Amino acid sequence: MKILMICTEKLPMPPIRGGAIQTYIAGILPYLKQSHDITILGTDDPSLPDNEIIDGVSYVRVPGKLLEIYKEGVVRYLESNQFDLIHIFNRPRLVLPVRSVAPKAKITLSMHNDMFNAEKIDPIEAEAALNEVSRIVTVSDYVGNVIKSLYPQATGKVQTIYSGVDTERFLPGSHPNMKKIRQDVRQAHGLENKTVILYAGRLSRNKGVDRLIRALPELSKKYKDLALVIVGSKWFSQDAVTDYIAYVRALAKKSPIPVVTTGFVAPSEIQNWFAAADLFVCTSIWPEPLARVHYEAMATGLPIVTTARGGNAEVIRLRENGLVVENPEDPGQFVEKITEVLSDKAMMKRMGQRGRELALSHYKWNRVASEVLTVWEQTKQTAVSVGTAETPMELTASQSKTAETISFITDRVDKSTEKQVKTQKQKNKKKRITTENQKVTEKSATTKNQKVVEKPAIVENQKAIEKPAIVENQKAMENKKQVAGLTRANLDELIIAHHMLMNARNKKNNQSNRTMNGRSNRNNRNRELLNMLLREFGKNA
Amino acid sequence: MENILIEPWELDALMPELFVPEYIEKIASEVLTHYDFSAQSMQVMATKPARGGAIWKVETSAGPKSLKLLHRRPTRSLFSLGAQEYLVEVQKARVPAIVKTKDGSNYVEAGGKLWFVAEWIEPLAPASKDLEGTKHLCRAIGEFHRLSKGYEPPKHAEIATRLHKWPKNFEKIITKMDWLRNIAYAYPEMPASSHLLQAVDVFEQQAIQGLERLNQSSYSDLVAKGNAYWGLVHQDYGWSNGQMGSDGMWIIDLDGVAFDLPIRDLRKLITNKMIDNSQWDATWVREMIKAYHEVNPISAEVYDILMIELSFPNEFYKHLKGAIFEPELFLNEEAVQLIQMIINLDQTKWPVLEEIKDDWIGVEAR
Repeated sequence: MKILMICTEKLPMPPIRGGAIQTYIAGILPYLKQSHDITILGTDDPSLPDNEIIDGVSYVRVPGKLLEIYKEGVVRYLESNQFDLIHIFNRPRLVLPVRSVAPKAKITLSMHNDMFNAEKIDPIEAEAALNEVSRIVTVSDYVGNVIKSLYPQATGKVQTIYSGVDTERFLPGSHPNMKKIRQDVRQAHGLENKTVILYAGRLSRNKGVDRLIRALPELSKKYKDLALVIVGSKWFSQDAVTDYIAYVRALAKKSPIPVVTTGFVAPSEIQNWFAAADLFVCTSIWPEPLARVHYEAMATGLPIVTTARGGNAEVIRLRENGLVVENPEDPGQFVEKITEVLSDKAMMKRMGQRGRELALSHYKWNRVASEVLTVWEQTKQTAVSVGTAETPMELTASQSKTAETISFITDRVDKSTEKQVKTQKQKNKKKRITTENQKVTEKSATTKNQKVVEKPAIVENQKAIEKPAIVENQKAMENKKQVAGLTRANLDELIIAHHMLMNARNKKNNQSNRTMNGRSNRNNRNRELLNMLLREFGKNA
Repeated sequence: MENILIEPWELDALMPELFVPEYIEKIASEVLTHYDFSAQSMQVMATKPARGGAIWKVETSAGPKSLKLLHRRPTRSLFSLGAQEYLVEVQKARVPAIVKTKDGSNYVEAGGKLWFVAEWIEPLAPASKDLEGTKHLCRAIGEFHRLSKGYEPPKHAEIATRLHKWPKNFEKIITKMDWLRNIAYAYPEMPASSHLLQAVDVFEQQAIQGLERLNQSSYSDLVAKGNAYWGLVHQDYGWSNGQMGSDGMWIIDLDGVAFDLPIRDLRKLITNKMIDNSQWDATWVREMIKAYHEVNPISAEVYDILMIELSFPNEFYKHLKGAIFEPELFLNEEAVQLIQMIINLDQTKWPVLEEIKDDWIGVEAR
């Protein structure tokens, strides 16, 4: 197929300036281009030409940074270029403009954040966009669940495709390629003979690293050899010190445990810091979609302590590859979970090994690419559906065949995978046999069969950990009702509940008050666009 | 010169206070060639080194002008420039008119930033600090708010709006109260830490209650009326950006304007004045609100939001954030006194708010 992948307006492709979405695209591109004619449309950049072909993939770059400007460039490009399928990354607001100039193309969406929330996209536009897309792939069940709870009609189109990691680049510190690097990094920063806890991420309030620093005094009482490494830019920044960075710095200064801060680390060198560490901790207090660092930590063979927020915990198998902090507002819970990992060196080692295994079996880019390819193939086979929700995806025999064909293609690129897939298959088989003994019906056995091909087995385990977003929200709402004796512990939940309330109210108000505000103009434009679309295609529905 | 990007600059002790890097001065001269007038002399009047902004007064063949290097993102600056043009051209507000370039543009883009020239208003004199002068200021900002209604930003401008961000800002302050507490815990040896710990609980409670009151107020109904309905707040309004000219009060420095509930400017003016007076006074507050209300009527619902805003401990964090940036310097004996002053001032606030809280009962919305 002739396929256009539309990136976000923020960062250019290839990922010379980093970016999770850009990394994702770069990770799967080598596999996708084997079977399709691919063009990448993205934002321009002073250091990149507006048009070029790299390794058989066309790159087209138009002015971006601001979505309004980017949208114009996207539309202009599509006016004179046709594609069979257009895959849009994380910008539902591009769907209708794209549809207006690409009436016949199939449109699929990749969702990496909560971009369907009411403050990101007007509900009317969101619904129209959902009608136009054939499929939506999300980076976590969390992201998909939020979309489904907001727009139940999207349910049949949404599917999780977990992201991936370069397991050749992120290697355990004990790997022959990394041993020296690990040693050098540790030596250069006074980390020899230390147990190194690693945090890698933005220094911002919702990423919560302050809670980890506040956990250090307690941890230092139990472990004398600890050190914390914080990988993240802006620590040393002179002119852009936010209150938060100042706060974290001031806390770190008083830490009884050495805190090593790296400042900016080039994306191409970040694996060295992972290899130098012994334990990875993610501290997010916001509903994070599912941070890439989890895959990187697993590939590096690090045990993980993460938080039960958003999708992060979906890749954790409790006590197998990590632990989950239920209430990340409380530094005490980090003390507890980190202690649990550190207290059992054998378990710690096992967790790291299991993480590496999982990365190899489930989180390599070829698996991600293969799932994306399957979605594209399935999309090709579905009829255009304007105004109707498609039925929930069910894998048919022919479809899994497609998937197999595709795995064949992807395996050509990465032969080494084959073996791992096989081992995984065998393992799953074993597991299935044991469960079948415990009265599992034939039907579920077949479903599982398909999952072996289609989806990593880990999905099943996740269901146990994962809390549906709605349940969490209800809990938050209940908390809101009893704010009288409010304490720090439930404050953040109050805040979440408040967001919910505001979103709901805004949604309501926007619907009843469309003539007064700035948004109304957007709505009017959207409605015009929508009417135009309906005139053109709606009658077929 | 085309490719140079303007960056913030650092000052050292040897530099004059209003230092501007030479490359920026060069770009400034180049920018002026886009205008019809000829520049005779230029003088730096203000700088923002940490953000990369500056203002010059330029004597020209067409009279005195101001030249501004706007430090914000160009798309953000477009929003403010559009607002300034709307206020002058459409609403005839007493705001400096933008001088167009030779090809009719509001600005020149150079060094990755927007520059613009506006009329230099002369003479301007600060309003008096007494109640009469303060009321002038209140009326002027009320008029500014009223005239800014209906503003539609240019197509490529970022929409700067704080209208929906009140709860988030309240939450941020609550969080930051906890930061102050944790800093005080982490630096127990500093003289002001114990005082800070004692004080922070009270102010944190005030903040939590403020958020609760906001949630129960008609805030969400009010903001649903939308950006254009409410118009713009200045965000940096006071005795220097509102000044008396020969024909009335002028409002200058519009770079930070954003859509918002307008009374936020009024709230800041009131609290700053009460700090200035070292105590809260019901007569002052009432007179200030009334003066504003004369030109931009306040509904009972908006009055309620104003009361919530006034009760919120905005100043506590603002004055003590130094503890977060440099705890070992900041949390000294002076900070002990500062905290005491804030507490004393706060104690005079509550009786005043209690006294005036029902003033607007029965006032009909417009």
